[in-house]
Amino acid sequence: MINDLKTIMRIQGISSREGKIGAKLTEIIKPYVDEVSTDPLGNVIAVKRGSAKEPKKIMLCAHMDEIGFVVNYIQDNGLVRVSRVGGINYVAAAFTRVVFENGVKGVIVPEGKTDPKDYTPEKFYIDLGVKTKRDAERKVKIGDACALESTCVKLGGQKYTGRPFDDRIGCYVLTEAAKQIKNPENDVYYVFSVQEEVGCRGSYAASFTVRPDIGIAVDVTPSGDVVGAGTNLCVKLGGGAAVKVKDSSVMCDHKLVSDLVSIAKEKDIPYQMEVLTYGGTDTCSMQTVAGGSRAGCISVPVRFCHTQNEIIDMDDVDACVKLTVAACEAVL
Amino acid sequence: MAKGLELLEKLCQAFGPTSCEYEVADIICAELEGKYDEHTVDFIGNHIFRIKGTSDKKLMFSAHMDEVGLMLSSIDENGYIYFQPVGGFDIKVLCGRKLFVGDYGKEKISGLIASKAIHQQSHEERGRATPIDRMYIDIGAKSKEDAEKYVSVGDYAVFDSDFVRFGDGMIKGKAIDDRLGCAVLCDIVNYIHENKIKPDFDLYFCFTVREEVGRSGASITANRIRPDMAIVLEATAVADIAGTPDYKRVAKTGSGPAVSYMDNGTSYLPEMTNFVMDLGKKHDIPCQLKQYVSGGNDAGHIHKASGGVKTAAISCPTRYIHSASCVFNEADYDSMYRLAREAALCPVNETPLK
Repeated sequence: MINDLKTIMRIQGISSREGKIGAKLTEIIKPYVDEVSTDPLGNVIAVKRGSAKEPKKIMLCAHMDEIGFVVNYIQDNGLVRVSRVGGINYVAAAFTRVVFENGVKGVIVPEGKTDPKDYTPEKFYIDLGVKTKRDAERKVKIGDACALESTCVKLGGQKYTGRPFDDRIGCYVLTEAAKQIKNPENDVYYVFSVQEEVGCRGSYAASFTVRPDIGIAVDVTPSGDVVGAGTNLCVKLGGGAAVKVKDSSVMCDHKLVSDLVSIAKEKDIPYQMEVLTYGGTDTCSMQTVAGGSRAGCISVPVRFCHTQNEIIDMDDVDACVKLTVAACEAVL
Repeated sequence: MAKGLELLEKLCQAFGPTSCEYEVADIICAELEGKYDEHTVDFIGNHIFRIKGTSDKKLMFSAHMDEVGLMLSSIDENGYIYFQPVGGFDIKVLCGRKLFVGDYGKEKISGLIASKAIHQQSHEERGRATPIDRMYIDIGAKSKEDAEKYVSVGDYAVFDSDFVRFGDGMIKGKAIDDRLGCAVLCDIVNYIHENKIKPDFDLYFCFTVREEVGRSGASITANRIRPDMAIVLEATAVADIAGTPDYKRVAKTGSGPAVSYMDNGTSYLPEMTNFVMDLGKKHDIPCQLKQYVSGGNDAGHIHKASGGVKTAAISCPTRYIHSASCVFNEADYDSMYRLAREAALCPVNETPLK
């Protein structure tokens, strides 16, 4: 189980460069669905047809892309200036390793003596260990992207650390659900979306294509059981699948939220409510595009989101798979 | 001056702030008369000229007709007019500017943005930008009643700025963003018409409205056409100017049009960026990557419309963009025209759609 997850976490896929991870997910889900295709932006859209006479369309959506950096300038001394792709935590990223699509490695560092409270994207550069612009250009070019390097490691209990759990863990939940949903009444669409981290752009296009009746995103949510998190983050690691009520991009469909809660209660699936005061997910696109749909989100709690050492609990993941399967099999 | 630049001068002089692009559209319609297979105007004012191709693959070209401007919001007892920006302004570029004030179909009158003489400024006011609610337009009226004979609340104002060549192939004017893109599109249509070319792509030349505020024009157009591929023609900030470190440079004037790989509205698919850059190489047309990640354009709405569209953006490097005096290089215009033309006439199987 964990090895399948590690496989899809190892493949790099920074926003708009999701080709490889898309191909892998296509391969994984293919045996469990009726059709799978890739749209012009790279969204992978798979469908398992329902048995009902007039099936509804349920769209499950998890994003494949991850945050990273993109090269925008190479200095004469070979140092590489980068812009961020998505919400980089610069305090966490400082002095860590990055790896490019072609395997080239480097270290991302702030300009000397910069106080962490003054960290801005312009203050950072990547040291590739080369002396000249020409040497740097042999390794990378403007427009190339890189991500923070990390490996997935087991911690206490069922907890694992690594990246990008955001949102390969959602992709994993979808593939596991696909293995279990064998004879749905409704059409179940499994969408692995692109470009969520830069503004939910992939799901915007995919929602137009699928035109779901019900949309459920599976994504991560920050866990509030860390020192200094304050009182506003209610989700806890190990507390079960989080049923999103709102984040700053969406107010979830009221009926869908209460349906998900009833299903969890009925099937004895550990769950918790999620009210997030910031952040955004693909839920917002599914809710509004092309006539809109009843949309919600099942979230996997994660500590230290968007760093190279995110932490998740596989028991929560298990609960998310169960809730996703039960939701697709229920008449919502 | 090349024919395209003569047209560009006319387009730049036109009065066309956001949602009032009619004058620009009139010039474009007159220029393209009889040179297309189909012409559509939608409810919001987008103009779409289609030239049928030999394949069924649709390529959408887009340039926006609107320019940044001001909207009159109130007139006081002295006949001074207060206003709000329509589009993104650095308010520091406004003080003391000459304007044309009016609306489509109305006679435009001269005005200027008043600024307090230095003699009257308090110590605190000196050296500071005047806040926008303390600026006003003076049209030389005696009173509110007098002013209302010429203008009304809801009218627009745009910069009054000549189209002038200077220095080594440089041109300055207002509204280069994005009348330049419009002129390039007209040039391509003219070329296809004069040479009686039958393109492989089914070509849609779209002159959109409302880019500077909300980009709704491009979004509506892309959902209507449902293209297989789209190329946005724009003007981009350059930052090859004093006080900007090299690594924050966006592009360089005189080094050819800038091809985007990422901006704040779009993460372009690498295959699209490479397609355009390779076309430049193949046809020996100077072009450069748009370096610093900033800004955005119609591509942001087009690429995610209609289930997703493979989109590229080609921009003319333009200094002092969104001011009364935008500056670009004549040679860059020519390179941008040739690069976009080669893309328009490219066989479908030599593009990312193959």
